[in-house]
Amino acid sequence: MNEKKVVITGVGVIGPNAIGKSAFSEAIFQGLSGIKPISLFDTSAYKVKTAGEVKDFQPQAILGEKGLRVLDRSTKLVNCAAKLALEDAHLEINEGNTLDTGVAIGSTLASVRSMSEFDKEAIKEGPRFVNPALFPNTVINSPASQISIRFGIKGFNTTISTGFTSSLEAVGYAANFIRMGRAKTVLAGGVEELCEQTFLGFYRTHSLAGSKDAGIELSCPFDKRRNGVVLGEGSVVFILEDLDSALRRQANIYALVSGFGTAFEPYRVDKYPSEAQGMSRSLRQALDKSALSPADIDYLSAGANSGVNADVLETCAIKDVFAKYKEKLYISAIKSMIGECFSAGGAFGLAAGVCALEKQKIPPTINYEVKDPACDLNYTANQARAAKVRHALINTFGPSGCNASLVISKYNA
Amino acid sequence: MQELESEIKNIIAEILEKDPEEIKPESRFIEDLGMDSMMALEILAAMEKKYKIAIPEEKLAALTNLNATLAIARECLAKKQNAHT
Repeated sequence: MNEKKVVITGVGVIGPNAIGKSAFSEAIFQGLSGIKPISLFDTSAYKVKTAGEVKDFQPQAILGEKGLRVLDRSTKLVNCAAKLALEDAHLEINEGNTLDTGVAIGSTLASVRSMSEFDKEAIKEGPRFVNPALFPNTVINSPASQISIRFGIKGFNTTISTGFTSSLEAVGYAANFIRMGRAKTVLAGGVEELCEQTFLGFYRTHSLAGSKDAGIELSCPFDKRRNGVVLGEGSVVFILEDLDSALRRQANIYALVSGFGTAFEPYRVDKYPSEAQGMSRSLRQALDKSALSPADIDYLSAGANSGVNADVLETCAIKDVFAKYKEKLYISAIKSMIGECFSAGGAFGLAAGVCALEKQKIPPTINYEVKDPACDLNYTANQARAAKVRHALINTFGPSGCNASLVISKYNA
Repeated sequence: MQELESEIKNIIAEILEKDPEEIKPESRFIEDLGMDSMMALEILAAMEKKYKIAIPEEKLAALTNLNATLAIARECLAKKQNAHT
């Protein structure tokens, strides 16, 4: 079968350290952190006080005043990212292209707050007095569906909820639709919102940096001081297109989607295995599908999130897969700047990969000061650096066993 | 009575995303003001919550303009008062 090629022609970012693709690109190369004191809810009862929150988020400035009143934060975040992505790609959805356009969004916890608030209202005021218009927010496919509703998109609409790997899997899923000729364009990405409900979950499972003992509250992937994640939030949406369609409309092509890999590691819930077999399989599969070898990869946008075991595990998988090429590979973890955005994390990692290809630069891992003998690769500490970037590998993984990896390549006309 | 009218007008204006001045007594919610079925449910629920009244589901179809909505609210409020006396 003659498979179609898939390219990225638009990027929309609503992130803790920047809004818009250009601002995001500048922010990550400057090493700008978006992690600040939380303002969305009161943290006085918690030891942890900071997160990568999208400050001064004004959806009406991007989407207009109307139709936002009953949408929850996640849905507004993803719709803003979608709007910015469409603008960035100079793409308009119309009667001519709507049936060939789809939506694939990674999201797992985006509706937790809406569910909780809906029930809280019913308990407090009585079941008769809940606002029925808030119920649609309580379902996990609400963010993706609202993109199609707002922009009039009539092709497929899918939500992928696999936790940490969700948005990269959504991009992989979207790319498959295009490769098989079932869609010409897909809005693909991810979203999560910061709220007290999910914060409490991560806090009580001692997953947050600074939540126990004397651990410092800092997102410092691969650094010896790491002791947990700092939560983040936001949304990134990409415009994925069939290469021929993109060329026909003379679109700016940021990158070629070369190959996607995914593997599950059946172990235990919320605990990483001691060996990184699943992650290695996922990374190798992405390389195989791209018909590339480890020597071809210049940059690895890591999923490392400042978790004690997570960052070692990713280091082990990289060593295993890259073997003698591990020394020349530039690695960085942008979660040091934005925090752990959970389902949206992979999309942020991919946005960093797109920026690296475009600017021929490697974004840094910030807050990297104390070396850990168990994490001994080149993590591009604290300062961005210029580099030849032909192919970038984006990696995501989580303690539930999910692993997903994606290779993007510079497009040479 | 004036107060009830202005309160309900404000509820409707907020839900339909209009200025209260645009909600004329006879403006048709669906045709003139763009109400959809979810907004109709929301108006009903908002009135029930604000006045702690129960509006029968069959009244939903009668929610066609401000005057009709006010009539429903007054009827339900009167029922509530009678139940208390």
